[in-house]
Amino acid sequence: MTRVTLQYYAQLREQAGASNEQLSTGASTLRDLYTELQARHGFSLPIDALKVAVNTQFSDWDRLLAEGDTVVFIPPVAGG
Amino acid sequence: MNRFELTAAAVDLAAQREALKHPGSGGFCAFEGWVRNNNEGREVSGLEYEAYTELAIAEGERILAEAAERYGVLAASAVHRVGNLAIGDLAVWIGVSAPHRDEAFRACRYIIDEIKHRLPIWKKEHYLEGDHAWVACSHTERAHELEPPHVHGHHHHHAHPAHAGKFAPDYSRQQRLREVGEGGQRKLADARVLVIGAGGLGVPVISYLAGAGVGTLGIVDGDVLDASNLHRQVMYDARDVGQRKVDLAARRVAALNPTVEVVTYEQPLHAGDITDVFAQYDLVVECTDDLASRYLANDAAVLTSTPLVLASVYQYEGQLQVVTAQPGEPCLRCLWPEPPAPALAGSCVESGVLGPVPGVLGTMQAMEALKLLLGLPQPADHALQLVNLLDGTSQRLPIDAAAGCARHGGCVAVARRALERAHAVGELERHFVHLDAAIAAGYAIVDVREPAEISAAPLHVTSLQVPSGAISAYTLSQLERPVLLVCASGKRSAHAARLLREQGVDAWSLAGGVAALAAA
Repeated sequence: MTRVTLQYYAQLREQAGASNEQLSTGASTLRDLYTELQARHGFSLPIDALKVAVNTQFSDWDRLLAEGDTVVFIPPVAGG
Repeated sequence: MNRFELTAAAVDLAAQREALKHPGSGGFCAFEGWVRNNNEGREVSGLEYEAYTELAIAEGERILAEAAERYGVLAASAVHRVGNLAIGDLAVWIGVSAPHRDEAFRACRYIIDEIKHRLPIWKKEHYLEGDHAWVACSHTERAHELEPPHVHGHHHHHAHPAHAGKFAPDYSRQQRLREVGEGGQRKLADARVLVIGAGGLGVPVISYLAGAGVGTLGIVDGDVLDASNLHRQVMYDARDVGQRKVDLAARRVAALNPTVEVVTYEQPLHAGDITDVFAQYDLVVECTDDLASRYLANDAAVLTSTPLVLASVYQYEGQLQVVTAQPGEPCLRCLWPEPPAPALAGSCVESGVLGPVPGVLGTMQAMEALKLLLGLPQPADHALQLVNLLDGTSQRLPIDAAAGCARHGGCVAVARRALERAHAVGELERHFVHLDAAIAAGYAIVDVREPAEISAAPLHVTSLQVPSGAISAYTLSQLERPVLLVCASGKRSAHAARLLREQGVDAWSLAGGVAALAAA
């Protein structure tokens, strides 16, 4: 299991009910992690509508998770 | 011919009336305001008017032009006295000639109401007891606000005040900055900036750029002010509700800094005209609440090499990105190649927002715009900035251009393809103000909103109800006519119409959605 810190923005924050959380996950890539979280929080946004950043750098969805990573999921938002 | 005059001399009424004669006029209406001998229970012996002349004349001319456009009058003029007046003297005269009496009456009423409300004229009342007081001339009743909004076509007008040259703005506080100075101020005066959206983000952008002395401000907004806007759009006030935001914004800029030239666009830009408009500006600031508009602006910025400052907000947080539109530097599509489907983005359904959130993000956009115009020091990399005002955090995430559009032929090629697609969507739309007219034209109406939205605002015509996420040629198989899809704003219906076209259905989308229909 890998321990990671997650940060959510916009609809994801609303659907998760928190702007961040700590999680132990069996997911190996960011893609697997998002799939796990979709099931857990009922995220409605498909993965291709999102950007993901790890440790303040945008990342590829196939990146492998490392212990202690801070992962941020960011949808584009529409309000003005 | 419109004319607004301030004068210290008595008004020649016969000459004023004669000047408004026109062979096409069937009605003439005049109003005279006189000095009366009492006000709010006190006996008045006389009064004195003092005006901020340059601004009063510029604003007076604008009021006359608005009345002419609004009511279709042939000629209008107004004279306001300044200086000392005695009881019974004429203080203000307004004359309007129009083809018919109704326009003349209404325009005359509009002009006097607006003059009382907007002109920087102050009245000093002299009382019989020997004392005096300055009295604000503005009052709140404006009869035209009770009228339904007028339907306007797409046109541009210049709101440049004729007498702006006489006003001398004082930029000393910003010029004192070593990085600004006189050279920076000249750069601002020469700059042309387009602001798309005069709402929560646009209000601080317009205010700060006008205050800073940006020479030309283009303002795009198709909406009228709604009471629900006031908690975050702080340059408007309660009396402005129902008026077009571009007019209100132009008026606000004229009052703040009459040296700024304002160009207004009262319809949203579309794929057919956006690159032509962008080419006229040095910088664009995107301030709408519409993802499609933001992507369209991104594509036009990339194709015309016009720097673009993007921001958007969601409840308590916001995002900020500067697209420099230079080769090799990232754009919006480098981050998110396509906007999510409208139903997912929640763009047709309000998510709620606290007023200061767009205030903060719009202020940040104004800052980025000034940095670009002045050439102030910038970080070397390009980033998406995320701001969360609930927990007070801000993150700057550097964008790697090589991982974005570069994989799909580069930003320019991506933008060109996207703009061509947006053009095709425009050809899916039909404009109707009443759905009865659409039915008369042979369309079957399909309401693609969610059941809860439909029960909150039903259509009042016969329609088939199929939510946009569930629509297919099969669900419409009993309809043989062309179908007109309707949603709240026109976004989901356009998306659904495109899907149905691919399935061979003669499908169209109601442009602007229910929001564009006249009230039933």
